Amino acid sequence: MVNTGNVSMKNPGLSKVPVLLRASILGVLLSSSVPAFADATSDSMKVMANKIEALQNQLSQMTSGMASHSGGDQGLPLHGFMDVGFATNTMADPVAYPTGFYVGSLSFYLTPHFGDKVKALFEPNFEIASDGSLSTDLERAQIGYTFSDAATLWAGRFHTPYGYWNTGFHHGAQMQTSVMRPRFLDFEDKGGVLPAHMVGLWGAGKIRAGAGKFTYDVFAGNGPKIVMGADPLTGLGIQDINFAGDNNHQAMVGLNLGYEFSGSMNGLRVAVHSLRGDVDDDNALPNKTELNMVGGSLVYLENDWELLTELYRFNDNDKSGLTGSHKSSASYLQIGKSFNNLTPYIRKEVANLSQQDNYFSMQASGQSYSRELLGFKYDLDPKASLKLEWHYSNFQAETGRTPAKYHSLYTQYAIRF
Amino acid sequence: MNSTILRFFSAGILALCLIPGANAGDVVVIANSGVSISAGEIKDIFLGEKQFAGGTKLVVVDNASAQGGFLSKFMQMDAAKYNNIWTKKSFRDGLTPPPVKSSDAEVAEFVRRTPGAVGYVSTTPTGVTIIQNP
Repeated sequence: MVNTGNVSMKNPGLSKVPVLLRASILGVLLSSSVPAFADATSDSMKVMANKIEALQNQLSQMTSGMASHSGGDQGLPLHGFMDVGFATNTMADPVAYPTGFYVGSLSFYLTPHFGDKVKALFEPNFEIASDGSLSTDLERAQIGYTFSDAATLWAGRFHTPYGYWNTGFHHGAQMQTSVMRPRFLDFEDKGGVLPAHMVGLWGAGKIRAGAGKFTYDVFAGNGPKIVMGADPLTGLGIQDINFAGDNNHQAMVGLNLGYEFSGSMNGLRVAVHSLRGDVDDDNALPNKTELNMVGGSLVYLENDWELLTELYRFNDNDKSGLTGSHKSSASYLQIGKSFNNLTPYIRKEVANLSQQDNYFSMQASGQSYSRELLGFKYDLDPKASLKLEWHYSNFQAETGRTPAKYHSLYTQYAIRF
Repeated sequence: MNSTILRFFSAGILALCLIPGANAGDVVVIANSGVSISAGEIKDIFLGEKQFAGGTKLVVVDNASAQGGFLSKFMQMDAAKYNNIWTKKSFRDGLTPPPVKSSDAEVAEFVRRTPGAVGYVSTTPTGVTIIQNP
């Protein structure tokens, strides 16, 4: 630091220099040093700017990498559903929950992607059965390859893609409006009459056609077998999807062809579906039935309305007893309307299942029935719902079946994460 | 004096009318310079229905600071419906919802540097392709 006062005192001669000259010298010095200082500052700023840019690039790459890991192709996103509730009924439902509080299911699903075209979907599920036992199931274990927007091929265990409900909701209780699935579409051990799961190959895609999109699902896999005595109440059978191989070496095949409308009809989807294959049971003299199902579905989900309907018609052929073919049908219609967070809904289910058809008569869930249902769903937030649902069920008197008429009431608290 | 007050209130009302419109209307969809997509494909891209453009895998990114304007303008839906659609799609088809960036700057930087990236911003950046700029 220069202290001019001290310099003046130590160098008295300097005080004799005319003020004007000193000012001139100072002026010359300053005029020559400012550009130099400015140049040095400019260089320093350029260096600093380069360093900042390099840091920005590094930070950007790090955050891009983190984003990619958290939600992009290389991460392992984990999602899930869980529900708990309370059930009561005026007569013990043979497959649904007995009176009291219950834990429904805890289902996780993981959707890892590997590169641009390879993806997978895993869904371990934990469920409390009506007898209180905990069952653990690998609901889905499928690995896919996406050829294009119009074609993805999956291999493994998947939700059989007939109709809409089975793949649209399945264990995702919080996503579906009602507490219970339509009974004939329920899981194999919960009253369903169709194989809700399949192990095999599944091709799916969407193709733009006109203003909307043509959608398709084509699948083939192990046909199920009916394991007799699996239902302790009736001694009848429950479908086993043949997880580890096909017992009769007859593939079950099916398709689901639909059209998704857009514009003024946005939210509407109509589809036809079919399922065909041989199903054996494990009686000492096994019955073999050729299952032939065709049907359709119509779904409208727009403007706060929910309209779901599915129809299944069976024309099954007895290939062991040679009793010919037998016709059956099952359908449901559900209508709901949302008023902000509250959605009241109604549903009607009807299943007329021929007891001459071994496919139904050997299954514990193969009894004809009708059911009316009224319920309310209240969304506490987008990921949590409370539901209240009343059923009236009427199981028909058929050969080897016990008729039953009863009311049921369910409450459910369901979340997704 | 009266005309001054009138002009003051007119200007205030005009400003109030313009502010919300500018917020929603300024959202533009941007893509990495190597991506070739059309404005008519934006809805399909952000719903996972269109995953490829030519041979390039699209990498879609949401922008928390501009999502409301984007969803109402380009998707004709609110955030609840958008999230519900993605939950169903993820559950059924094994797709992953777009990751969410917090600002225009983050989205612009990500799109600029990531091959196949598509996003949206409320201020137009440089070095990206503008898909639709109303």
